[in-house]
Amino acid sequence: MGADIFEISINIIKILVIFLLMVQIVPLLVWVERRGSAFIQNRFGPNRVGPLGLTQLLADAVKFLFKEEFVPSKGKKFLFYAAPVIALVPGALAFASIPLSAPILVDAFEMFGKSWGPYRFAFQGFEMGVGIVFVLGISSLGAYALLMAGWASNNKYSMYGALRACAQMISYELALGLALVGILLIYGTFDFAEMVAYQEGPLSFFFMGKEVIVPFLPNWGIFYQPLGAVLLFCAMFAETNRTPFDLPEAEAELVAGYHTEYGGLKMLMFYIGEYGHMLVASALMATFYFGGYNLPFISTEAVNAFFAGFGFSATKASIVTAFALHVVLFTKILLFLWVFIWVRWTLPRFRYDQLMDLGWKTMLPWALANTIITAALVLLMRTEWL
Amino acid sequence: MSPTIFYSLSIVLVVFSLLVVLCKNPLHSALFLALAMIDLAFIFFELKAPFIAAVQLMVYAGAVMVMFVMVLMLFDLKEDEESAFSGNPVINVFKFLSAGLLCWAISSKLFSYGDVAGLGAGKEFDIKALGTTLYTKYIFAFEALGLLLLLIAVGAVALSRTKGGTHDS
Amino acid sequence: MIASTITLHHCLFLSILIFSIGAFGVLVRKNIIVILMGIELMLNAVNLSFVSFGYFNSSLDGQLMSFFVMTVAAAEAGVGLALAVTVFKKFKKIDIKLFETLRD
Repeated sequence: MGADIFEISINIIKILVIFLLMVQIVPLLVWVERRGSAFIQNRFGPNRVGPLGLTQLLADAVKFLFKEEFVPSKGKKFLFYAAPVIALVPGALAFASIPLSAPILVDAFEMFGKSWGPYRFAFQGFEMGVGIVFVLGISSLGAYALLMAGWASNNKYSMYGALRACAQMISYELALGLALVGILLIYGTFDFAEMVAYQEGPLSFFFMGKEVIVPFLPNWGIFYQPLGAVLLFCAMFAETNRTPFDLPEAEAELVAGYHTEYGGLKMLMFYIGEYGHMLVASALMATFYFGGYNLPFISTEAVNAFFAGFGFSATKASIVTAFALHVVLFTKILLFLWVFIWVRWTLPRFRYDQLMDLGWKTMLPWALANTIITAALVLLMRTEWL
Repeated sequence: MSPTIFYSLSIVLVVFSLLVVLCKNPLHSALFLALAMIDLAFIFFELKAPFIAAVQLMVYAGAVMVMFVMVLMLFDLKEDEESAFSGNPVINVFKFLSAGLLCWAISSKLFSYGDVAGLGAGKEFDIKALGTTLYTKYIFAFEALGLLLLLIAVGAVALSRTKGGTHDS
Repeated sequence: MIASTITLHHCLFLSILIFSIGAFGVLVRKNIIVILMGIELMLNAVNLSFVSFGYFNSSLDGQLMSFFVMTVAAAEAGVGLALAVTVFKKFKKIDIKLFETLRD
């Protein structure tokens, strides 16, 4: 134990802020999605309400809030209400376990006539030694929300959407997990913070037991595992049920899939769940393959020293560093989110058998081959030969 | 492990397990079983086995139970709700008693052995140690499991194969 | 009576309780899939006992055993569900009694 009031309250605030971060990115993304789709399809998009259509979101929120509440007759009422709530949980929990910035180190200080010890606050909801396994486990629970929604709606379209979603999620989870094994072999850890620390500085690797440094490339995972990164990103698309994998809600065949019967705020919660999944996927991509919260070539200590050069105290410099690096990570995340939106409005949807073929016959063998080759290479490269 | 956490988690676990057995709708049973497994994952986490907890979430709650729920939905059983329990109520009372007897018999044997207190005993292992043990001490079991999984995959496909399948060719 | 520390007996008693509930479910239910769920519950109880043995003896073997049990349980669920699907396809019902006809 040993936690005091200050530490506990900071932790509670942290968890609240991270949840709100996930919820608050949704309006922004909806706006980007609308304007972006309009831009891609050579239209205007919403541009009447406010500058650049920015306050369209407020109008949307009002619309969502004031829609009529209803439950389909012969639907399962409890499950019908529970499903949207459960849709929020996996995204929020997974996002909370990803480090969003460098840890904040607070020196001992005096407040209210008491002295408070030195602290170390990680910029993440909770620190976990098994980070990535936990994230995979939690995000695999996302299937329940869809299944419950489909079942409780008492509607054939919803049911088919839910079944499709589930089959898809289970199939692609295999490819997702296997695509990750390669990068885990290279980092040799499950902990996100250690992965980010590994990716500092210029590209350096062992060749025949000797260290080789490539000064013009950052030490990012993408240069070790390009195939793994592509496979992971594709599998993430399938996990988030976005186009080209949006079979569960294929509006041409299934009306709207598992959320056909949902409206108003409940619908909005499904949206938040989906965008939360996208956010987690982007954060994972950034953390695994693109250096996490670090700037290329610049280590966390260097940023800290830079801010300390302005005459800040150690605590203040650490806080400023954490927020600056947070901005860096969010820039990367937003780039990936834009890719999600870009792909959605560019590619057509798969047919169902194409989807299954891609998952089982293409991505799984490639991921397996990637794992085996990486394992062999890691063993060969890191052994001293001469 | 603090007693408050343990007691609350175990009460929830027992309630969910009972609901799994007693719910008439098989789908509700499956959902309660998923909840029970998530709860058990937290107990594992409290027992300093975070990797096992995460695997429990991923394999049991995420894959196995989703498969159960999916199969139940595919069946779409309507008439089963009236006759969920086999046999007549008198026999079921005897079945309940025999389960209780089983519980009593094992636990009475259990309490005649010495106890181990929790403080200081729980040592946290890192995942590297787990992997090393798995690939040295238990390598034969691991290989055997791989073979078993292959057999199971072939068997499951052979059992549920249909003529023609979903693909045209 | 509430003890101030959790001992091995607490964990094992919880495990036994869950095991008995699972066994009761296997005995009393008619639906094949719910019976499989009862078996899963029993396997989970065994996992709990393995992990708590490992925890209280400061040993890794408990965790690894429960890892193996999980794999076997997943395999068992796969075959069980495949059997259930086969039976359902033939009889449009999943009653445990229908397994009697498998010998023909």
